Amino acid sequence: MPPGSLSLLAQGAVVSLLLAAAAIVGGTLLAVLLATIAFSRLAAVRAVYRVYVFVVRGTPLLVLALLLFYAMPALDLRTGPYIAGTLVLIVYTGALFAEVFRGGVLAIPRPQWESARSLGLPPLAMFRKIVAPLVTRYTLPPYVNVCVMTVKASSVLSIISVWELTLAAREIIERTFAVFTILGLAAAFYFVMCFGIDRLGRLLERRLALKGFAGERA
Amino acid sequence: MNFARWVAIYGPTYLTGLGWTAVTAVSAAGGALIWGCALLLIRLSAGRWGARGVDAYVQLFRNTPVLLPIYLIYFAFPMIGMPWPAVVCGGLALILQNGAYISEILRGSVNAIDRVQFDAARSIGLAPWSTFRKVVLPQVLVYSIPALGNQTVLLLKDTSLLSAISITELTMQAKLLTEQTGAAYEAFIVVAVLYLLLVSGTEVLFRVTHRAVRWG
Amino acid sequence: MLTSRIRHVMAAALVAILVAAGSPAGAQEKSRLDIVLERGKLIVVTLTTVPPFAFNDDKGQLVGFDIDIARLVATALFKDPNKVEFVSVSAEGRWPAIESGRADMGVGGTTTYPDRAIRVGFTRPFIDSGISVLVGKKSGIKSLKDLDQDKYTIANLNNPQMADRAKRFFPRTKILTFDTPSAQFLAVKSGRANALQIDTPSAEYWAAQNKDEMEVLPGLLGASQNNGIFMKPGDFKWWQWLDTAVAEMRTGSWYPQYSEIYLKWFGKNPPPQKFYLQQ
Repeated sequence: MPPGSLSLLAQGAVVSLLLAAAAIVGGTLLAVLLATIAFSRLAAVRAVYRVYVFVVRGTPLLVLALLLFYAMPALDLRTGPYIAGTLVLIVYTGALFAEVFRGGVLAIPRPQWESARSLGLPPLAMFRKIVAPLVTRYTLPPYVNVCVMTVKASSVLSIISVWELTLAAREIIERTFAVFTILGLAAAFYFVMCFGIDRLGRLLERRLALKGFAGERA
Repeated sequence: MNFARWVAIYGPTYLTGLGWTAVTAVSAAGGALIWGCALLLIRLSAGRWGARGVDAYVQLFRNTPVLLPIYLIYFAFPMIGMPWPAVVCGGLALILQNGAYISEILRGSVNAIDRVQFDAARSIGLAPWSTFRKVVLPQVLVYSIPALGNQTVLLLKDTSLLSAISITELTMQAKLLTEQTGAAYEAFIVVAVLYLLLVSGTEVLFRVTHRAVRWG
Repeated sequence: MLTSRIRHVMAAALVAILVAAGSPAGAQEKSRLDIVLERGKLIVVTLTTVPPFAFNDDKGQLVGFDIDIARLVATALFKDPNKVEFVSVSAEGRWPAIESGRADMGVGGTTTYPDRAIRVGFTRPFIDSGISVLVGKKSGIKSLKDLDQDKYTIANLNNPQMADRAKRFFPRTKILTFDTPSAQFLAVKSGRANALQIDTPSAEYWAAQNKDEMEVLPGLLGASQNNGIFMKPGDFKWWQWLDTAVAEMRTGSWYPQYSEIYLKWFGKNPPPQKFYLQQ
């Protein structure tokens, strides 16, 4: 293995993880906003949601990134590639998380809604005490899934020359041509990150189940 | 130059890209389905080690981005004496990746088949392969159509990554046009619209198939 | 008769004219030069896989001849070679980066072509270049003529000039198109392609690094060429300053700094600053 490549790959992995983390945070916030739009009483507002999700989920991430990077100067401003890359990921994960949240809300059985309403709770309390725990239970597995997808999606940004794990691997390969070794190591880094997130998710599910959120998986 | 004129002039050049995207997507989807069924068969019939092997395979491809196998097969295989053409390399990477996901989809559907059917099949003396072919597979496939449709859309979007190994599909076409004309906005908007059309078309296709098969 | 009222009106008109003349032209856009000076930092877009112009060394640092030239420009602006930020792109991303204002100027082995100059502004050349063909020795290609057979494959970059040259010089050769020079290089190294076309200094650099496997074919594809700093066209003030800076680097007061960089990356002295001055 070429000298110094392990540390370069590790740095790249950290960058990928940070990109994903920022995208997950931003995407979740965006998704909460989008999900509220999705349940608006106005059909026109709901249509905005549907169009956004349709466009983001129907276009490859690479094309979205190229579109935002090259063709929309307004988004560029004086931002570096990392900020632009994170913005693209946020747009992407926002749509995915929003669908997860929307699915979670829709999965709440009718009786729960009705009993909540019959209790006469104000909307905020209803949200906190009834909607949020149920939505969390239903959405935790797919939410963790989207988190893993985000880490994998960060590799696509390498094509836009955002320096992260995949690009680091490519650069080392171009210098040293140790293709199998370096790609193998890069795959190992990704595996550890994604598998780790998946396991953390299951751990979280189990803890929440114990606290009475009654998760679906044991 | 305004948008409409640009599209009128450069529109037809997208046809090559569209062709390649469609060809790679369809063949990779077909290959991934076959590979996914094969993985399912291994899981069901090769005992504990078979199941564990398939599990390891699935975990590997679920936790690594698809760009890595694409680069590996394209750039490294010539080194070990297998310089396959770019489409084969890209297609193979997509098949390996999506086959893993498809085998998981099918596995979920298998659990939905009533256990009784397996006993019934055994009692009339059906061999395992026949059971698989005549009892399990048809039901599993029909049951999985919506999820398979979803996976096909993901595969279709992943074909855009093949632009990195010099396949002139839609995304590569847009890049070439950007270089040639400087009109990045027009080039990529058209490509985005084309992908949306392809994705919608695929979804409609699967929905129609699902309905037809359910009533057939 | 200059009554007091008329005098007041005339005074007001005079003031108005002076104000209008003295104030900055509101309708005109600010020059990139002013924006850069105000910002205190230069933003440069570059390819990052064209050694020795711009590439990542084995410590992951962006280095190269063009990188050092860009730092020299920053020194001219701010007396500090570190007041510069590099934006890395793939080949087609260079133009949107300067057109959108995301970067102030660009470098990276970028050659001046008339058709490219329709949308992109160039300074005079800061280095001579030309396009050479790098071949894998295993392919047995010994000349440009040998390459022109359909059993061979050449790796191009995704710009129209490369496609044109391929059509002109080796119409029978199969073509692979990539969006970064490094992918071209990897294609040749892995045997995917038998040859690639790129700026001569890059071809020579790669051949030197891979002496056993690769070599540069003699002869240039076409003429000797000019690599310049590129920027958004139409901003005369910015172009004039950059061009003056390049002129001074190559033929004037900053020739010593230019020579130092040239020697560092090419191992020899640059062309003399004036033909009548010997080194």
